[in-house]
Amino acid sequence: MRRVLVVGFVLVSMLLVFGGFGYAGGVIKIGALYNLTGEMSSIDAPALNGVKLAAKEVNEKGGVLGKKIRIIAIDTKTNQKECATAARQLLSEGVVAGIGYGDTTYVLAAAPLFQKKHVPFITSGATLPELPKMIGNYMFLVPFGDNVQAYAMADFLYKDLHVRRVIIWTNKATDYTLALSKYFKERFTKLTGKKSILLEDFFQTGDKDYSAQIARVKALKPQPDALFISSIPDDIGIIVKQVREAGIKQPIAGGDGYDTPLLVKVPGPKLANDIYYTTHQAWDNPDPVVQNFIKNYKRMFGHEPENAFAALGYDALMLVVRAIKRAGSDNPAAIRDALAKEKGYHGVAGTISYKNGSRVPQKAVAIMKVEQGKIKFVKMVMPNM
Amino acid sequence: MIAGIYTLVILGGISYTMERTLNDYHLTVVEFLGIYVILAVSLALTNSFTGLFSLGHPAFMAIGAYISAILTFPPIRKAIMMPALPHFLANMQLPFCLAVIIGGVIAALSAFIIGFPVLRLRGHYLAVATIGFMIIVQVLITNMNSLTRGPLGINGIYPYTDIWWVYIWVVVTVYTVWRVLNSRFGRAMLAIREDEIAAESLGISLTYFKLFPLVLGAFFAGVAGGLWAHLVTAITPSSFSLPLAFLLVVMLVIGGKSITGAIIGALLIGIVSELLRPLEMATQMYGLTQIVTAIGLLAILIKKPGGIAGSKEINLVSLYKSLKVLR
Repeated sequence: MRRVLVVGFVLVSMLLVFGGFGYAGGVIKIGALYNLTGEMSSIDAPALNGVKLAAKEVNEKGGVLGKKIRIIAIDTKTNQKECATAARQLLSEGVVAGIGYGDTTYVLAAAPLFQKKHVPFITSGATLPELPKMIGNYMFLVPFGDNVQAYAMADFLYKDLHVRRVIIWTNKATDYTLALSKYFKERFTKLTGKKSILLEDFFQTGDKDYSAQIARVKALKPQPDALFISSIPDDIGIIVKQVREAGIKQPIAGGDGYDTPLLVKVPGPKLANDIYYTTHQAWDNPDPVVQNFIKNYKRMFGHEPENAFAALGYDALMLVVRAIKRAGSDNPAAIRDALAKEKGYHGVAGTISYKNGSRVPQKAVAIMKVEQGKIKFVKMVMPNM
Repeated sequence: MIAGIYTLVILGGISYTMERTLNDYHLTVVEFLGIYVILAVSLALTNSFTGLFSLGHPAFMAIGAYISAILTFPPIRKAIMMPALPHFLANMQLPFCLAVIIGGVIAALSAFIIGFPVLRLRGHYLAVATIGFMIIVQVLITNMNSLTRGPLGINGIYPYTDIWWVYIWVVVTVYTVWRVLNSRFGRAMLAIREDEIAAESLGISLTYFKLFPLVLGAFFAGVAGGLWAHLVTAITPSSFSLPLAFLLVVMLVIGGKSITGAIIGALLIGIVSELLRPLEMATQMYGLTQIVTAIGLLAILIKKPGGIAGSKEINLVSLYKSLKVLR
């Protein structure tokens, strides 16, 4: 028992000592909330790495306004309760801005607290375009909204692949997939008319058998030119495998939920063919900003960026730093005003401007193609909104 | 009686001091600790005192949280966010206290409905049935889009929960459970825990005295869900799931089979993860809190298999006597 007490005492005193470092002068504190353990960690851990890389680069160049950036990162364990407490912790430590999360659910638990204290919160990966409206004028998005990526895919299918008739499958268990299908349908019917959607079908996260939906597609006359399947990363591999095994050869299209190694791994390179998806950045984009990011990321963490969320995390911090510079102050309200006036930050995951008071960036969407298991960058698309 | 009043005053004084001196973050941590205490003590009714292994607390919390959130939500925003609400619900906005109680009552009703058939069986059926119930509740909430906003959940709930609401409900919960335990009901529950057949032979109705703690526990779980919703301000179907059920069971295991034990377990689990967080942040070793908690749990199980408090209770009267505040 005594030993336990000793160990406990040591831990507590260590924490007090470490905690004390935060109060040194000449730093600008920026909070980072990410789910570093639990189901969201595959998306959120790379994003935090991106934030850290950006902070390191800024500090190596002498910081901003003569002060160093200090990132206070908290693991919120894929748990909304942790988000709500961690956000309050950051705010009571006096952060001037918060960055975080690759999913709307967790933003909704943390961001309103920032809004209430008038501290800007910038989500690096949540794509729900209504977020700023739901939370308030201190909420910003770094990625494009789901409407932009769905519009981009609709435009691309219509103009580049000359698709006129589609079917839509939607995972009805997540908000992301529902929104994606909604916006795709909206744009595609506007381009081609109501009759262009031959069939709408639904599935749920974790479904293993899609034979019923496949049979309904095969019974269609005329046949669709393409399949728009709105899915999260977990299911898309199995869907592609079963659709292709059933002999459906038309192109499959979807959103950034396809940006996962499972897309090729599960069906195998033979069946993973003729698939198109939208995402935030293509790593083989020759833009020096992108290539430098990959090089520096590799130097700092020992491996290439895991997915586009790393780039988004990097961009999120850089946006805040630019806003601080423009504002000439690290006052949260001044940062917010400067952020809202951002015009043309050339980031790793596209160029970001907040136009007409919108706090969702209008930016280009990368269209990717899978050909015999190989992922290729097709082009950047900027849909007219 | 006097000891009880002393305790109320002391706890109230502590709450008042905390409200005055702590920052928002520390206050939130304290409020969550209080909610954990409500949950652990109410779960102890079934799991510790009646020997029924229930995992249904998150389901009851979800019911309480959603019902109370819908009831306190401003009608103007309801019209946009939950279009399918029946007319009387859509135009209703109840005070927080009433909404939380209604949430608790409906959670208790649902416990009655699942408990009635299941508790007439002997064995571990309750654990399975409550897991099943939790899944049903989750699927329902996920799919009733126009009522519950589906997987996105309800956000922008007004943060009514403050330290005083938590204080009141902690006192009510602990007092109620303590009174139940020291009554005819409590002795019947303990008898069932020790030996069902012997208890039945003494004329104790098994179904009734098993159903009672489950329903009462569900009421307090529903209340805790309501407090939770108005503290986090955003709820989703996945907020209340199996990991939370296990966390609550862990509190009871490390605390022991008594009210004191449940409180100790709840406080320990709640505090340890917050205490370790700065260390985790400083060392950048994320996941440390989970590992330390797990090791601590193992250590307690090895050293004190009955939990820290075992089945002992703190006797407030003799405590005050020994402190010479009471004669």
